[in-house]
Amino acid sequence: MRYLTLFLLCLVSAAATSSPRRAAGQAEGPTQVVEITAERFSFSPSEIRTKAGTTLQIRLRSDDTAHGFKIVGTDVNVELPKRGRGVVTVTFVPKAGRYTFECSNLCGAGHDFMRGTIVAGE
Amino acid sequence: MLPSSTVENYLKAIYLGAMSLTPPQRLVPMGHLSSALGVVPGTATTMVKALAESGLVEYEPYVGVALTPAGEKLAALVLRRHRLVELFLVRVMGYGWDEVHEEAEQLEHVVSERLIDRMDEMLGRPEVDPHGDPIPTADGHIKRQEAQSLMTCPIGTPVTVMRVVDQDRSFLRFLEKHQLKPGAAIEVEDRDPAADSVRVRGSDDQRITIGTRAASKLLVQVAHTALVLMLLVLPALAQDGPAPAPRSPQKVLSGYMDFHYNKPEFADGALDFHRFVLLVTHSFSDRIRFVSELEVEHALVEGGEEKGELELEQAYIDFLLSRSFNVRAGMVLMPVGIINERHEPPNYYGVERPFVDTVIVPTTWFETGVGVHGEIGRGWRYRGYITAPLNAAEFSAEEGIREGRQKGSRANAGRVGTTGRLEYVGVRGLTLGTSGWSGPSGFEFRPRFDVPVRLAEADARYSRDRFEAKAEFAQVWIDNADLLNDALARRVGVNPNIGRAMRGYYAEGAYRIVSGARFGDVGAFARYEKFNTQHRMAAGDVPLRQFDRDAWVVGATYWPDPDIAVKMDYSIVSSRSSVIQAPNSFNVGLGWWF
Repeated sequence: MRYLTLFLLCLVSAAATSSPRRAAGQAEGPTQVVEITAERFSFSPSEIRTKAGTTLQIRLRSDDTAHGFKIVGTDVNVELPKRGRGVVTVTFVPKAGRYTFECSNLCGAGHDFMRGTIVAGE
Repeated sequence: MLPSSTVENYLKAIYLGAMSLTPPQRLVPMGHLSSALGVVPGTATTMVKALAESGLVEYEPYVGVALTPAGEKLAALVLRRHRLVELFLVRVMGYGWDEVHEEAEQLEHVVSERLIDRMDEMLGRPEVDPHGDPIPTADGHIKRQEAQSLMTCPIGTPVTVMRVVDQDRSFLRFLEKHQLKPGAAIEVEDRDPAADSVRVRGSDDQRITIGTRAASKLLVQVAHTALVLMLLVLPALAQDGPAPAPRSPQKVLSGYMDFHYNKPEFADGALDFHRFVLLVTHSFSDRIRFVSELEVEHALVEGGEEKGELELEQAYIDFLLSRSFNVRAGMVLMPVGIINERHEPPNYYGVERPFVDTVIVPTTWFETGVGVHGEIGRGWRYRGYITAPLNAAEFSAEEGIREGRQKGSRANAGRVGTTGRLEYVGVRGLTLGTSGWSGPSGFEFRPRFDVPVRLAEADARYSRDRFEAKAEFAQVWIDNADLLNDALARRVGVNPNIGRAMRGYYAEGAYRIVSGARFGDVGAFARYEKFNTQHRMAAGDVPLRQFDRDAWVVGATYWPDPDIAVKMDYSIVSSRSSVIQAPNSFNVGLGWWF
């Protein structure tokens, strides 16, 4: 029973993070940890360069109000708590290509300027 | 001997037993241990002897048992697995904090170190689990907590709940229901052991009486001690404490409000609900969005009288085509200066916006138009719009081009203005920007003459930890100012004495004196501004020295919540005129965003 629980834990862990997703235990690429700070009206850094298949662990923190972090074209869309209220970690394994991320929580007059990109090379 | 789950449970029980003994003792009595494990003493003794042979414990017959360094490290690693699994279940998988103990009891023996390390990393290296229990590091080190229970903490003193030492589900639910989870700010009002009661006042003034046994299971820190601790480790405490699972943003309605009390020297103070702004958005699709900002200024709008204003400050559709190229059309904010596009009250220090961002850059500056915006990589981004121009017939000596904004109200667009901004945000905490506006603004005087207006601006913002600095420089040029003054003098009978160049700049430094405290943040700032709406005059016009002004603004902001700002400042304004001086003023403000 406990092994079944462990297996389910692993599966749900991967599902809770991002798409494309990967269950723990399968062959993995390298891990890259990226810290992004959000504030009105920019992400810093706003450009992430990585290699396809790398497990990106994106730690997101807001320096003011509650922002959102959405990777366009994927199901990654989380709310960033306000300043001092915590860090949200998103795990994302990109395929080769370019992904746009953006603030998905209306945060003020310049909300639509809050965008960035993930560039995953071969 | 390989550490089986039974061995691990014994080591953990000895570890926790030693921590719970009052007064602290090196040896945990065997009766205490067998009771904690739910076995008879004989069984416990047999197992402890085996552990002693393995070098994991020291056993003294008839006295008790203690962990050796090797045993202590193994026990700490079991606790590490247990507590990280609990936090993972709560934060990532959405379990309630009352549901995780039993699961963790099972999983602590089977999860691999690799999986635990990945969980630890994913959770951001937390220091405490959902119950406030410290999580040992991978090398078995555990951070000691200085806390006392509700039975021993001082009465009538604000304390913060740091830890719950009972994992009973119904008890945890009880604490959650009464907002007594770790992080809660409470106060013991009364304690009566004889009556088995402790009366507690919560942060929302809710009062609850709990039994002494329950009170002994809640560990707290006196608020000022907790404050010091938080100042040192709050980022970790805040981010790693109990937190809900990530959720998706849902907001479509937002807004901000700004309420002021202004007390100028030698005059009565005034209470003014300066701004009430609602933002409404709608997404036609992922790539096509509508954003609007409707503002009521000064609370009251009356037809034909000088009261408040009802303004549509933004109402545009964004066609988000790519990261580098997007199209925006409608009522847009001019991308000029620090404040114009970043004007939510909790964002800036000072009750009122900077003078330079009022009389040189006419914030809030909005106009109907169409344009493009995007990021061009490596931290560079741009916006550029074509908009309706200013109306030079409304310019003034005191407020420059401010009253010339047409605000999208049947705006003359015989000729258009252009505006743009180039911005660099490639270094964390740093924003550098330069912007400009240019447009023929004399449509009321054409074809006799036109009034070309140009504005150039540069600004910088930098923040690191608690420190923040910003600076801005802006200059306006008005061509044909002499013709404009002549024409307006003929129209109204008085030469308005509008300058042909206006200039302003300011520098501001701020520091968050308190950051991350349970009661909020406190910051102090000082700003120096120099602004002159008659920096240069047309030939034949004489500058009035009262419009060559500078100001010192000093004050503080208290954020009880990152989206609420309670502001206070004192503004010292002086001019070059020895006759006409602007009054100093004391200002208090309350602004919020939601």
